Amino acid sequence: MGPREILNGLRAAHGEGIQRADIPSDTRLYLFVDRGALPSICRTVFRDLDARYVISIGADDRPYSGSFMVAHDFAFDRDHVLCSILADVPAENPTVPSITPDVPAASWAEREIRDLVGIEPEGHRYLKRLVLPDGWPEGVHPLRKDFAWDTVPEDYDEDRPFRFDDPPEGCTVVPFGPFHPTLDEPAHFRLYVEGEMVRGCEYRGFMAHRGIEKLAESVLGYNDIPFMAERICGICGCVHSVAYCQAVESAVGIKPPPRAELIRTVMLEIERLHSHLLWVGLACHIVGFDTLFMQSFRIREPLMWIAERICGNRKTYGLCLVGGVRHDITPEIADELRGVLGTLTSEWRDVVKAVSRDRNIQSRTEGIGVADPALVKEMGIIGPVARAAGVAMDVRKDHPYAAYDRVHFRVITASGCDVWSRVLVRMEEVFESVGIIQQCLDHLEPGPLQSPLDDMLPVGRIGLSSVEAPRGESHHFLITGENNRPRRWRVRAPTYQNLQGVPSMIRDQRLADMTIALGSIDPCFSCTDRLETVEIATGKLQMWSPEEIATLASPAPGVSTQEVHCR
Amino acid sequence: MSDWGLALRQVGIAAVNVLCVILAAPLAEGLLRKVTARIQSRQGPPIIQPYLDLMKLLGKEDVESGETPVMQRLAALLAPAAVLTAACMTPMGLRAPLGPWTDVVVLVYVITLCGISTLLAGLSAGSTYSLLGVSREMMAMMALEPILAVMLIAGSLQVGSLRLDDVLSGSVYGSGGFAWSGLILLCVMALAFQAMVQRMPYDTSEAETELMEGPIAEYSGPKLAMFKFAQMAKLVVYGGIAVGLFVPWGSDGPLWLAWPVFWLKLVALIIVVTLIAATHARVRIDQAVRRYGALLAVALVALVLAGMGK
Repeated sequence: MGPREILNGLRAAHGEGIQRADIPSDTRLYLFVDRGALPSICRTVFRDLDARYVISIGADDRPYSGSFMVAHDFAFDRDHVLCSILADVPAENPTVPSITPDVPAASWAEREIRDLVGIEPEGHRYLKRLVLPDGWPEGVHPLRKDFAWDTVPEDYDEDRPFRFDDPPEGCTVVPFGPFHPTLDEPAHFRLYVEGEMVRGCEYRGFMAHRGIEKLAESVLGYNDIPFMAERICGICGCVHSVAYCQAVESAVGIKPPPRAELIRTVMLEIERLHSHLLWVGLACHIVGFDTLFMQSFRIREPLMWIAERICGNRKTYGLCLVGGVRHDITPEIADELRGVLGTLTSEWRDVVKAVSRDRNIQSRTEGIGVADPALVKEMGIIGPVARAAGVAMDVRKDHPYAAYDRVHFRVITASGCDVWSRVLVRMEEVFESVGIIQQCLDHLEPGPLQSPLDDMLPVGRIGLSSVEAPRGESHHFLITGENNRPRRWRVRAPTYQNLQGVPSMIRDQRLADMTIALGSIDPCFSCTDRLETVEIATGKLQMWSPEEIATLASPAPGVSTQEVHCR
Repeated sequence: MSDWGLALRQVGIAAVNVLCVILAAPLAEGLLRKVTARIQSRQGPPIIQPYLDLMKLLGKEDVESGETPVMQRLAALLAPAAVLTAACMTPMGLRAPLGPWTDVVVLVYVITLCGISTLLAGLSAGSTYSLLGVSREMMAMMALEPILAVMLIAGSLQVGSLRLDDVLSGSVYGSGGFAWSGLILLCVMALAFQAMVQRMPYDTSEAETELMEGPIAEYSGPKLAMFKFAQMAKLVVYGGIAVGLFVPWGSDGPLWLAWPVFWLKLVALIIVVTLIAATHARVRIDQAVRRYGALLAVALVALVLAGMGK
């Protein structure tokens, strides 16, 4: 079923509700509908056509069309189509019928639209603030175009404490976070606990919302944003940078050259490898198995060095520009990379063997944090959590991007729905990633790294892009705009959806299992909050030549890394 | 020798024991860390690092915190005091110093005091996490203390005496020949020792990644140093009790042989503890308590056997 067939089906069912449709390619479908028809169309798409809910976007379009705009993104994974259902919302009456009663996964997104754009979702049952702190004044919405990016409202009360819901009868409240040894980023769970059993929780997050989207829409230019997108996350930064560039490319119809696509694929997989190794190590640490944590990090280290050889940085590669990449992979580096992958594969086999044989890890993770296929569907859960529930969804296969249509790999699934299955899935995916990188290196042909960008990019086009981050799908929605920057850019990191499934995953489990259940979705609060982290090491600046950086990346034998850093 | 001469000698040995524990406990911890690091492909801290850690903590400001600071201070002093008192009753190269004047019942009480100090620490803090740690500690104590008591009583039955110097010299194997119950208890000890000294996989009550150190979450500075030291000393003293009960061979020899042999046995024991700790994930409290229960049942069977002289 292609986008045209989907459209015809929807036209038959909701004829007058659909104003117009746009099918720019075989993989994208944009539906412009009446605001009143949103719930019924979304219900058909979500229930009858079994599409996966991705994200909802609110935008202030008043300077251009005179009205607000709401979009609900869905993914038809089996048909390889990404679909956006858009509706205009009149400026004088910014309300929209909520789709949350039909699509539970949209709960957070609609609350966020209410906070940031000020469009009221009517019929939403839990309209508590999500992103804005409680001390933020009513009626001030930061993502509206008449709100300048550098303003702080005068009556903003920074110190006002959060208002929390009352715990259920007979439960005590155990605060979890914002600071906890296994929760290294700010987020607050109020766990309702009966004895050692967790009966429910309330989540307050978004404590580090830094308004990256606002900055992109008001300060930066098209080719500045990839670098800021990369700083959304310290683990899967390259994912965000690629997803943003692809969203622009999909909106205006640029195709990066094949070599650039292969290099993007290689770097994305290097990122996945480092993230999977890091996460398996962390999972072991959470259940108190520090030896495997240390070994995972040791095995991961050469990957960080090779990333530094390619782009001068262990993380935050600075790889992407709209239409291409900035770093090349020379034949020497390709050989080195092959060597690193060889060692990694054999060492990782030992870790997999050790973990699979460890009965303590199994007994701590089996039947814990269960997310069954029904929860996956209702909450829009993605990535390894969905695959561990037997749902074979992987954006790399379902909505191929970069060079993923040119390589062979398996989508690893498991059927346990629990933390143990997630461990198995992610351990096994390491080998697939190694295979993908090796195939990409074999396919590398000489060629340009960047498509020419001569004209101004056209205005008012919509772009969608999904990239499979190590923890699940990262989705970017973009509308191109004037002044060499997008009008609206919405980032949906995987944790945004997965976190909404956590309350169901920890209900009626032991408190001791809370950390591993939460850890098993590999939550990234900085992605979810869309935080920008800046590391200021020392006041001193030192210039390094590329050769010097390369010597840093591969210390001479016998020289400890510490000495190199102090030089 | 006159009574006074004997008393003086035994008190002298007890003082030597206390001094040895004070000096050796951080060193044992250092050894444990070093071996752990090597298993984890790390360099590891220098072996004297625990001394430096303790000194640093002792030099810090003594902050009053928690709900009842007085109880908090008391708990911090009770912990090392209880362990060092136990050290006075444990044979460490020589027969149990205070053996002639104390018995196994006193030893069991003193060891229970170690656990009590952790409970007091958690209760005085009054935070949710420390209270959870307390409830776990209590569950563990209720299962583990009886196991140790059963072992000591089984030894007493075999030698027909409650005197510590009689019991803590391989008594479980019987006065003559060989007892099956001793062998069973040895197996129980091998499985329970890790939990008694609160090392992985049984550090459930302090579980950093779950409870943020549980009962001692509110401790800092000198008071934390006391607790840390008590924990290090526990490994040595409990090790001494285990060696005395189950590995007595070579302890009857002359001083120049018995003393080094004891410490060699202890080092071997610590290395085994380290290896187990570094290669196992933490068990959950309910899993742990179930295991302790099973061990206690086996120990009771052994006690019945010991009563029948087998």
